[in-house]
Amino acid sequence: MILRARGVSRRYGRDVALAPTDVVVEAGEVVALVGPNGAGKSTLLALLAGALEPSEGAVERADGTRIGWAPQRPAFYGRLTPRENLELFARLEGEADPVAAATRLLRVFELPDTGRVSGSLSVGNRQRLNLALALLGSPRVLLLDEPTASLDPGQRQRLWERVEAVREAGGAVVFATQNLEEVAGHADRVVKLEDGRLVFDGEPAGAVLA
Amino acid sequence: MRVLLLLRKDLRILRRSPALAAVLVAYPLVIAGLVGLVAGYASSKPRVALVDEDHLPARVVVGGQSFDVNRTIARVSRNVRFVRLSPGEAARELRTGKVVATVTVPPGFVADLQAMVRSPRLILETTHGGITPRVTQQVQALVYSLNRELQSVYIAANLRYVELILHGGPGSFLGRKFQVLGLDRTDRLLRGLPPGKRVSRIRDFVGDARLALAQTGAALRATANPIELVRAPDRGRTWALSAEVQAYALALTISFLTLVLAAGSLAAERDENVVARLARGLVGLGELVSAKVALAAAVALVVGLAIALAFGVIIQVSGVTGGEPWVRLPLLGVGLVLAGASLGALGALLGAVAREARTASLVALLVVLPVVFLGLVPREIVPAAGVVSDALPFAHAVRFFSSSLYDARPWAPVAREAAWLAGLGVAFGVAARLGARRLLV
Repeated sequence: MILRARGVSRRYGRDVALAPTDVVVEAGEVVALVGPNGAGKSTLLALLAGALEPSEGAVERADGTRIGWAPQRPAFYGRLTPRENLELFARLEGEADPVAAATRLLRVFELPDTGRVSGSLSVGNRQRLNLALALLGSPRVLLLDEPTASLDPGQRQRLWERVEAVREAGGAVVFATQNLEEVAGHADRVVKLEDGRLVFDGEPAGAVLA
Repeated sequence: MRVLLLLRKDLRILRRSPALAAVLVAYPLVIAGLVGLVAGYASSKPRVALVDEDHLPARVVVGGQSFDVNRTIARVSRNVRFVRLSPGEAARELRTGKVVATVTVPPGFVADLQAMVRSPRLILETTHGGITPRVTQQVQALVYSLNRELQSVYIAANLRYVELILHGGPGSFLGRKFQVLGLDRTDRLLRGLPPGKRVSRIRDFVGDARLALAQTGAALRATANPIELVRAPDRGRTWALSAEVQAYALALTISFLTLVLAAGSLAAERDENVVARLARGLVGLGELVSAKVALAAAVALVVGLAIALAFGVIIQVSGVTGGEPWVRLPLLGVGLVLAGASLGALGALLGAVAREARTASLVALLVVLPVVFLGLVPREIVPAAGVVSDALPFAHAVRFFSSSLYDARPWAPVAREAAWLAGLGVAFGVAARLGARRLLV
């Protein structure tokens, strides 16, 4: 086990965003999180990332496991440039050389390094910056919320290559998606949520995705 | 370290927000300008109409001393500017506010003055506005100065009669001339008489009278001014109005800026969806609140010192009494940091409660007005307002700034207000930290 949700739930007043849910993520696997809009996928990913506190239950992670998280709505400072965002979060993540880390990710994700602030980037470039930020600190587990939305085919390809690299390095990836091809092409396991409840956890072949 | 990273980020973002940066630069300049205008107004002479119904001559002789009327008025009217107007013009200008008061010299004024039998009267009429008490005070001060000038003349005139009794010679009273023997010559005449018990008693009386009358001058002057107020040359509070105005201007400006800035910038972390990224172990919510408090303190220091400098320049150029206490700026800086931090913590609390940057800024603006007004209400008049105001940083900031700039011995009040500001800052900071959990929802 590299990451586990043990009976985690999240409520907003009387509304239940996620009923108590158990999910285990093993090292070396890629898990697809599927379900209709409002099923609780983003909530589960945020809980696994530690960005939300569960109303009940707990999230456990293997000792020393670092987690990278790319939320569905990009999370960075709009008035900082992509480089400044990457350097700031690299420092907060404890990167040994924040400038080098930022330079590497700018190159990998083909992000502009022109002094333009991030808030003025195109939708696609914002998503790339969002994904680049998730890779800071060399995480063993990547939690990606609809990561390929707004990416061009070339960028998608490079994203899946990064996912494969994490898996081969003994890490794990959990990604939320509505795209069945991505599930079929990249997931080892599928977790399906409906109305805030886990309704399926198994191999993609056994899942009723529609 | 992480707080410093966030502070540096916030300052960079602040620099890149042109509208906000412009407001931050313009605001202190506007406030300093307004304060300067108020200070200038405070030191300016209000225009007062002088209505001369007695047709004052160029010179008036009182008690044998000649007065140049215009020069005397100019000398005693240090705080008002007199303009001679007819009764009709004066009434019109008073109505329209061109003059703030009229002083009428009624018929018979000079005659009463010269007769020294009854007090002549001046008639004061003022507008019914906020300035009335000040104008009344200034005209009263003018009459006081005029009375002092006349008093010395009256005393001199009385002393001349005393001298006449002492030494003898020609005299006059109400236009009637006469010769006075005088005590000196009486004594000489008595010496020429054959000695005897009665002559000896008269000579004793003459001697006592000469001795007593010789002290009359000092005694008259002493009874004319039983108590004289002498202002000690001290480095204390120099100019009460400018001190209060500057303290309020500083507190008002940093209250607006820090509350809005701290509230808006904390809520903006949620608006940009960054707070969730930070909160997953990168930065604690306490550190996030601390960064906003530090941001408010830094902005308060820079903007506050800019206002103090601008205000100080205006004070110096205007030649205001006492000038700007430049050596107190470091102490003022400490107060600005403490007040900025305390207000920043309150702003962070508002930001945490409001959660959205626009709402937070609006809430901060709505909150700052009652906070400021409560601080302006004198606690002697409304004790309840004083109690509520004590629980907010504004009034403490005003008292800290006022003491640090103008009190001769500021340490006790400054220490007390610093403790208040620090305590309130911690209390609001803890509340903001607890409230910041709402940002993650």
